[in-house]
Amino acid sequence: MEGTSDFLGRDVVSIRDFKRDQLEVLFQSVQELEENPRSLDGQLKGKLVVLLFFEPSTRTYSTFHIAAENLGMKVSGFSNPAGSSVTKGETLHDTIRMFEEYGADLFVIRHTMQGSPRFAAEITEVPVINAGDGSREHPTQAMVDLYAIRKSFGKIDGLKIGILGDLKYGRTASSLAYALANYDVELTFIAPDALKMRPEVQQFLERRGATTESVTDLKGVVGDLDVLYVTRIQKERIPDPTEFEKVKGLYQVNLEALARAKPSLKVLHPLPRVDELSAEIDTTNYANYFVQAAAGLPLRMVLMTNILGGAS
Amino acid sequence: MDSKEVPERMLVSKIEEGTVIDHIPDWKAETVAKVLRLDKLKRMQADVSVAILQNVNSKSLGRKDIVKVDRWQIDEKDADILSLVFPGITINYVDEWQVSKYEPKVPDVIEGRIRCPEVLCISNAQREPVVSKFAALKKERTLQCQYCDTMIGFDAVPDHLR
Repeated sequence: MEGTSDFLGRDVVSIRDFKRDQLEVLFQSVQELEENPRSLDGQLKGKLVVLLFFEPSTRTYSTFHIAAENLGMKVSGFSNPAGSSVTKGETLHDTIRMFEEYGADLFVIRHTMQGSPRFAAEITEVPVINAGDGSREHPTQAMVDLYAIRKSFGKIDGLKIGILGDLKYGRTASSLAYALANYDVELTFIAPDALKMRPEVQQFLERRGATTESVTDLKGVVGDLDVLYVTRIQKERIPDPTEFEKVKGLYQVNLEALARAKPSLKVLHPLPRVDELSAEIDTTNYANYFVQAAAGLPLRMVLMTNILGGAS
Repeated sequence: MDSKEVPERMLVSKIEEGTVIDHIPDWKAETVAKVLRLDKLKRMQADVSVAILQNVNSKSLGRKDIVKVDRWQIDEKDADILSLVFPGITINYVDEWQVSKYEPKVPDVIEGRIRCPEVLCISNAQREPVVSKFAALKKERTLQCQYCDTMIGFDAVPDHLR
């Protein structure tokens, strides 16, 4: 696979660490895998991936697990800190060192504490993939999101993309915004003031010359959008429960909310959803979130293969 | 002489060895003492004297503060952090009455001295062997945590020192 050497042995801590041409190489490989879904089976036979999920996960854990098994890898670690030595007070540092001694070839880490994957990457020479750190980043989800947009439109440049919901605590929103700075798009952030995009993300986009606007109301902008990326209010990350009460249910994307949308609009959502995205959208042409979710498996297979050099 | 224009030399004498931090904005000397961790000198029972002059006349600033530390040369890294907060500050090392001016540098990365204000940052995790690490974004006059990306304006650095 041409260009896969850009990923060889690399950590995937932040989506900001990847340039557009590197992402495009990855997406080309994902497309090839979707066309020939068994082509990477067994490519990483005998390699050990350690999935360390210090925060419960269903989708991300499962896709990494299935992806690893499809590639022929051995899988160790945990999907939930309950029942692991973490509950006994073991540090991330010691957990990493221990699995390194057991022969880990790759770590996939999700953690409630922000910056944990970067810290892990400093501890070990073994590549580390960030599967979500607190409210900060979820780089592989951003890769999935970009791929889903590219697949729907055949391109990313030139699109008007709205990101709606909890932009302050939602790590998928910030990672997608960072990722889109690689493309010539118009970004609209739709969130209440209490949940608007964090300053460090805004500053990054400013430095990269991205075109952005921030609004509080979907109604005024929905008719201009090509993509609407909906995110869940991160109840578990909002420190003050009274703040959550103020913002919960503020947005609900349903047929009424999309009444003025372009027929070609695609709605994405990293899932899981709660009330912010109505099931009545599921059967419309707007719905793209299950296609998006499906892309998670081949993308993570390609990513792990490229990092460990399985198909070179 | 007008009593309001008492020259600095009458308030405190020259020092033979140590550090003179000059051109501190008026009434900010205590912040300088905090950044330089001068309280540690007390804990160490060091044989040093500290003179803090506040609101003295200055040709360039109108009024200014001065801190003189007798028999103690401050750490250059601390001097560099000080220059983030007070860009116009001057630092002179004195050795056997000879004065040499130190040109503070805005560091690219500051390790270990600043506590990240984000409580959920891994650099605040108890028992993890992790040292805080901030990169300086000079144009924006901001430090950014290299773990969680949280930003601190240069002016706010004294509030986040370890």
